[in-house]
Amino acid sequence: MNGITTALEFLPEILVLAGALLVLLLDVVGVRRLEAFGGVIVAAFGAALVAILADLSVAPFAGWSTLPAGSLDVGPVGGSLYAFTSFGLVFQGIFLSAALLVAVASLSRTSNEKGASVFYALLGIAALGMLLVAVSADLIFLLLSLEVTAISSYLLVGYTRRESRGLEAAMKFYIIGALSAALSFYGASLLYGAYGTTSLAVIGHSYPSGGLGPLAIVGYAFLFAGIGFEVTIVPFHAWAVDVYDGAPTDVSAFLAGGTKKVGLFAFFAVFLVPLLLIGGGAATASGSFRDSLQILIAVFAILTMTIGNVLALMQDNMKRMLAYSSISQAGYMLLGVAVATSAALTGATLQIFAHVLLKGGAFLVVAAAAGLGVGPMIADWKGFGHRRPVLGASFALMLLGLAGIPLTIGFVSKFILFAATVQAEGLFLWLAIAGLLNSALSVFYYARVLRTMYAESPEGALTPTEEVRGLAFDGLGLGRAVAIGAAVVAIVGFGVDPQPLVQVMQAAVQHFVTLGI
Amino acid sequence: MTIPILSLSLITLLVGTVACFAAGRWARYVALGTAVAFLVEIGWMISQFTWAGFGPTGVPSYSYGETYAWIHLYWLNINYSVGVDGLSLPLLLLTGILLLVTVVYSWEEKKRPSAWFALVLMTCLGCAGVFMALDVLLFFLFWELVLIPMFFMIAYWGGLRRRYAALKFFVYTHVGSIVMLVSLLVVAFYSHAPSFDFSAMYGPARALALVPQVFLFLAMLFGFGIKFPIVPFHTWLPDAHVEAPTGGSVLLAGLLLKLGAYGLIRWGLELLPQGLLHTQPIIFAVAFASIIWGAFVALGQRDLKRMVAYSSINHMGIVLLAIGLYSSLGITAAVLLMFAHGIVSALLFMVAGSTHHAFGTRDLATIRGITPKTPALATVTMVGALASLGLPALISFPAEFLALLATWDGIGYWVFVPLIMLVVTAGFYLWMMQRMLFGPTSGIPEDAHDLSQWEAAAMAMLVALTILYGVLPGLLTNVIIHSPLFGLP
Repeated sequence: MNGITTALEFLPEILVLAGALLVLLLDVVGVRRLEAFGGVIVAAFGAALVAILADLSVAPFAGWSTLPAGSLDVGPVGGSLYAFTSFGLVFQGIFLSAALLVAVASLSRTSNEKGASVFYALLGIAALGMLLVAVSADLIFLLLSLEVTAISSYLLVGYTRRESRGLEAAMKFYIIGALSAALSFYGASLLYGAYGTTSLAVIGHSYPSGGLGPLAIVGYAFLFAGIGFEVTIVPFHAWAVDVYDGAPTDVSAFLAGGTKKVGLFAFFAVFLVPLLLIGGGAATASGSFRDSLQILIAVFAILTMTIGNVLALMQDNMKRMLAYSSISQAGYMLLGVAVATSAALTGATLQIFAHVLLKGGAFLVVAAAAGLGVGPMIADWKGFGHRRPVLGASFALMLLGLAGIPLTIGFVSKFILFAATVQAEGLFLWLAIAGLLNSALSVFYYARVLRTMYAESPEGALTPTEEVRGLAFDGLGLGRAVAIGAAVVAIVGFGVDPQPLVQVMQAAVQHFVTLGI
Repeated sequence: MTIPILSLSLITLLVGTVACFAAGRWARYVALGTAVAFLVEIGWMISQFTWAGFGPTGVPSYSYGETYAWIHLYWLNINYSVGVDGLSLPLLLLTGILLLVTVVYSWEEKKRPSAWFALVLMTCLGCAGVFMALDVLLFFLFWELVLIPMFFMIAYWGGLRRRYAALKFFVYTHVGSIVMLVSLLVVAFYSHAPSFDFSAMYGPARALALVPQVFLFLAMLFGFGIKFPIVPFHTWLPDAHVEAPTGGSVLLAGLLLKLGAYGLIRWGLELLPQGLLHTQPIIFAVAFASIIWGAFVALGQRDLKRMVAYSSINHMGIVLLAIGLYSSLGITAAVLLMFAHGIVSALLFMVAGSTHHAFGTRDLATIRGITPKTPALATVTMVGALASLGLPALISFPAEFLALLATWDGIGYWVFVPLIMLVVTAGFYLWMMQRMLFGPTSGIPEDAHDLSQWEAAAMAMLVALTILYGVLPGLLTNVIIHSPLFGLP
């Protein structure tokens, strides 16, 4: 394998890295316009997304693939650190969609904003880490890539340096993140001790044959906790609300829509491989172990969605409500891991993508509304649907999607996820019922916001902030309008015709399941 | 080439909904046009209707059927699949009629008319979709779609406690939907049906073992029952009705309650007949409880609207009873009852709305002897009340008569339960008429006014239909008998 082919394999990653470095370079040569930085990053993300879609042979980009023939879905070669799988590529696409949404929306911020270059460069580097997570075939490579994303995210939360709340959130995020990284790496070192390798595939495959010694069990427990922090699995969730609430709202959108999903992918990579492999033709002893592991994950899934929902129900602050709802959504995605069939994994992947559009979009609307003078509390949204019919309707659509109401992607994803859970039969029927009851509970707090937005009359006039005066679309700005509009189109479009999307995801999941990487 | 008339009629409503949002002050004309077009399409369907009978494998086929692939995974086959038979056509007709009269009744809506009319159309779109859908996902999609416009109608146009009522309505019915969805999914997966299509599920579902059939049917009874609503899951209904605007109440009572009954017949009775037969005692107990509870609680109401709401619970109890009988006569009676209740409750909720409009209150203890002041309102009130208590030659009579006959056929002397409760029902309607319509006038404000022309037009249509179908119930029964259900004992 010569250097150029290897470079071409990493084309998306290289594009994103080049974008981030170019932004820093522009800053050094004296460019001070946010639009320039944003333009570079948006172009880099867009090009990388096209490259990924081409690698996945998605029309109309099929045939542009830069991956050498026969390098996709073959599994890790030797002790390779990375492997290209269509499952990983699908997730790269999901991550980049989240990053792109935020990058485009942020174009609406003040043109001469201080720190704009830092913001966009960090966004690029965070995205780079996300892309690398999705190609890792090695535990250490995976955890290091996670750190790339995590460290840039801490900085993103506090980059404005204006608000003490943002700094406090960044600090909290950093301390928790450091703890989580320490736990993960410690777990990885134990696994290395147990198996003598850090290759995910080899570790996964040793499971059914070699069984699970005490060292490995402790190692996995540490990894569960470490990655659990990233995914906000209860009881490792408490940081998320303060961080999402304290971060600049655009960054919250990126955290909820993007970085959290990276944790989920890591979770899949570490825990699903053994689960899937044990399921396939292993001895009965490991079969029962698989069952207990599945039940354990199912318990965490139910805990996560229930506690997230109950706490979301009690919030008066919009961002905190959305943050808790994010936690509960992580529970739904864990369902896919607990059920561990390719059907459920397809559902979970779709749910993750849906969540990027719905929750990322919702945070972007909250960011836009804050600029327009809407306060942080839910009560401040009184009559918003009448003040800003289009923006209000977009927000309503996103909330309805999160609640799983038809003609949105949230409906399709929940339907497929729960159908797959029911299909797995046995105990999973109760898991599906628990999940659906939770879904009903969540309707309560989404509907409450809708009620505030539409059934109550506005009080007083909104006073837009200085920054949004004179922006296009009545203070919304072109970037935000495009990002929110794109999210709305995707939410409805894939809600009506999900077939193209689920087809790609199903194919990828099936490769993942057969390959076991 | 055959015309895809079902999709066409759904598209009509969809386009109407979108157009209404955009039409501003012309929305009411768009809504009226859409309603008329939809009614014409339904009328065409009924006029051309011949039931296709059973297919070669004993699976019923559906008229105007359309099937297109929608979501296809290796473990999941979902189609866009629609079709109608004698069970759904009368309910589609009811949808069209209630859409038209609601639009006419609320012609002078002043509060955000474009959104109002769009939501009315969207509700009817959801209902029509439910009555046509022959695929689990499609059915569930339309089923949930109905919740959204109704939530907003109550939450924005409703009365004083509208926020509470809207949320309660949304959460209650959503929980019901979820139980319903899980049971449908279980039916599909556990019977290993090749797809979520009704026809594909028909054979495998019926072949399920008895125990799962019983549990699944009970789950469906709960899921669909919340929409009925059955006692004790009925408490959302009085709140929703009292707080809903008149048009919302009309659609809520006239259409939304029918969704539960229709669903129970289509997806419960047809797919899990053994489950129904072995849970009959439970169904009857629930039905009797709803009949008795609804009647007695209605008797104790001072608020006219609340009274009509509770009488709806009573009437839907009779529908459940008729479904539970599992006989051709029972199903015919159930469909006829649903149609009749749709028309009559719509009329009575309009009466309640107009009463409030005219006198500023619906308190039966306050307003007395309204006839001299508002003769038109008094007349329709009387027709509505008489129809609801089952006076011959009005629409409810043939329906209730058939239901009682079927009950007698099915469970003998138990027929006295609904029969005696009919007397109670008659009692509270007569009492209401006596106080509200006749006797010395009191409690009526000086500026009370009679029906506006639009209100009068809407009510006149319903009165005409009440009499038409009361005299000629054959118009409906001739359609109803063209369904696979008519082959029952």
